[in-house]
Amino acid sequence: MGPKPKKHGRSGHGNSTFLVSLGMTLSRLWQGLREWSGDAAYETYVRCARKHRVATVLTREEFYVEQLQRKYSRISRCC
Amino acid sequence: MKHLLGIVAWVAVAAVGALALATIAWHRGEPISATWFVLAAVCTYLVAYRLYSAFLAAKVLALDNTRATPAERRDDGRDFVPTNKWVLFGHHFAAIAGPGPLVGPTLAAQFGYLPGTLWLIAGAAFAGCVQDFVILFCSIRRDGKTLGEMAKDEVSKRGGTIAQLAVLAIMIILLGVVALVIVNALKSSPWATFTLAMTIPIALLLGVYLRFLRPGRVIEASVIGVALVMFAVVAGQWVADAPAWAAKFTLGGVTLAFALIAYGFAASALPVWLLLAPRDYLSAFIKAGAIFSLAAGILLVRPHVLMPPLTRFVDGNGPVFAGKIFPFCFITIACGAISGFHSLISSGTTPKMIQREGHARFIGYGAMLLESFVGVMAMVAACAMTPGVYFAINSPATVVGATPDLAAATISSWGYPLTADTMAALAHSVGEQTLWNRAGGAPSLAVGMAHIFSRTIGGERLLSIWYHFAIMFEALFILTVLDAGTRVGRFMVQELLGRVWKPIGRMNWYPAIVLSSGLIVAAWGYFLYQGVVDPLGGINSLWPLFGISNQLLAAVALVVATSILLKMGKLKWIWVTLAPMTWLVVITMTASYQKIFSANPRIGFLSYANALGAQIAAGKIPAAKIGEMQRVMFNQRLDAAVTAVLAVMFLVLLVEAVIDWHAILARGKEAKLHETAYVATQWAEGD
Repeated sequence: MGPKPKKHGRSGHGNSTFLVSLGMTLSRLWQGLREWSGDAAYETYVRCARKHRVATVLTREEFYVEQLQRKYSRISRCC
Repeated sequence: MKHLLGIVAWVAVAAVGALALATIAWHRGEPISATWFVLAAVCTYLVAYRLYSAFLAAKVLALDNTRATPAERRDDGRDFVPTNKWVLFGHHFAAIAGPGPLVGPTLAAQFGYLPGTLWLIAGAAFAGCVQDFVILFCSIRRDGKTLGEMAKDEVSKRGGTIAQLAVLAIMIILLGVVALVIVNALKSSPWATFTLAMTIPIALLLGVYLRFLRPGRVIEASVIGVALVMFAVVAGQWVADAPAWAAKFTLGGVTLAFALIAYGFAASALPVWLLLAPRDYLSAFIKAGAIFSLAAGILLVRPHVLMPPLTRFVDGNGPVFAGKIFPFCFITIACGAISGFHSLISSGTTPKMIQREGHARFIGYGAMLLESFVGVMAMVAACAMTPGVYFAINSPATVVGATPDLAAATISSWGYPLTADTMAALAHSVGEQTLWNRAGGAPSLAVGMAHIFSRTIGGERLLSIWYHFAIMFEALFILTVLDAGTRVGRFMVQELLGRVWKPIGRMNWYPAIVLSSGLIVAAWGYFLYQGVVDPLGGINSLWPLFGISNQLLAAVALVVATSILLKMGKLKWIWVTLAPMTWLVVITMTASYQKIFSANPRIGFLSYANALGAQIAAGKIPAAKIGEMQRVMFNQRLDAAVTAVLAVMFLVLLVEAVIDWHAILARGKEAKLHETAYVATQWAEGD
């Protein structure tokens, strides 16, 4: 897993064996699934807060509740 | 050489697509394989994406990857989060895909498979995808502004208010009609009712888990939740088999309607982490899983489409809903071809998460193609059953007759042979007491899906499990629309009322929460109740009303998009939004006119009310039923008024926009565009 590179350059694993590249693909899929579902939202937030040197970083629990409040206050699902 | 190979490959894709389209269009006689539908759709999507969306991206919108997106400029880890293109595609798709593209095509199948399928494919390529893509682009260029804000900036101040009111109105009608779909799927079905009822304690359990035990661990909680829901699907059978329990969960339409209204109120007024959010997580996983399984099932089983290309009901006398192909096929299909609601997602969350402008093509245009494909699959699933069975499930008793023998005779007389025994055997095989008169699309789609799934895994033995899995899947994500929509509607009501009396606008003040939640559930609950008691089945009145309001919202979005393109100096390409907008104006205005004024009581709201009035006056209605009929008359007049108000609101916006376009084009008025200033990206090229 590990932090996702923001700049999407292809990392240099072109010559690696099939198993390694399979592992990379699976781990990317897993990471994608975590981001899609919101599982990784807190890590993304913490990374961003650190980058911008925010003084008070919310705990995982605080962030979860705050994020839900925002998400479900606007149209998030369609017909 | 490579270039040449590319051209050859694309010509081949286009040729296969054309062949498949020609096959489904001109095929007569023997049932046709669903493979042709998949090929026609997929090849057209590929060509449309490769050519038309590339043209939109390069010539019309001139997407600029050197320009920093809102996600890069404002990167706050909360709303503005730069997100991988594929992840955002999934996110956007999960947001736009709702019950609409499943229900609409299922209902439109009464015209035969051809009109609906062609409109799903062509409408998406030239209208729906264009709307989603252009609005997404416009919102990216405006820091993620909403459709209402863009209408205010780019069309007129009144335009903004109209867009806001239109959104609230369509939301209320939408919630009423989707709730009716659930009611029709659950009534007299202890198995389905038990399963859906169980999702509430399961969601509460997950809510507590995600809030206190393992905050934010969405995947593990969802895995537990999905397992529990699957268990509830199986356990539903035990409930249905135990007479004492079955009696408790065998509910009528009105009871179910009030249960849903109470649920909507609770979901809106309770803390969001407790019920709404965990159900949404659960539904997202099950939705994605079920849609993939349906695609895989159709490809593996390759069912034959038994419905003819065109039925006799193109004449407007269809039993599911009345009205001719033009305009009602387009109004009924709605979301699978173009959905106004998507413009709210395209100008909501997605523009704040997009990494590069260039991704807007894949996400805006591409996700809508996938949505259209979901619609085509729903059409295939509905048309893969015997036409007689399809009409038996979807027609109200007042049209076909109240007893199975009578109804089977009516449907057979239309040329779609059916016996009462067939329906009894089918109901038994899917574990239901009856499948007659269940308009709304969900049960017939579930029968279609169950047949496809059971031919992949389990055979006849698992048919009833698959049927209830499909019902649960549809009902679960309709409930998600219902609770999320009620909550957002509550915020809209609070905001509007807050302008009159400030305290109501306070989002944390409990009396305001209760009052506004009550108002919003009362509003959609009213439409739901009127649908449940409507002798014509409710769907006949409410689905067209929903379709009209949805397509009007799409027209609003395309008016805004056209204004923006004009101001960007793209007069030469203005037809890309102007043409679909004009088409939507034509179909929504024709449909609104017919729904209000048609002399046919099954189409016109007013003539239906008058016909009932005449029956009462002539003494044909028993005294005990007069009060009920008078309520139905009032409801029909209310529906006519709602349709008229929506149409007039839209026309006001359209006239204001046209005056503005005229001023820019003919009188040289300065075209002031409200884009945010260009900021160069700090990110390296790549991706």
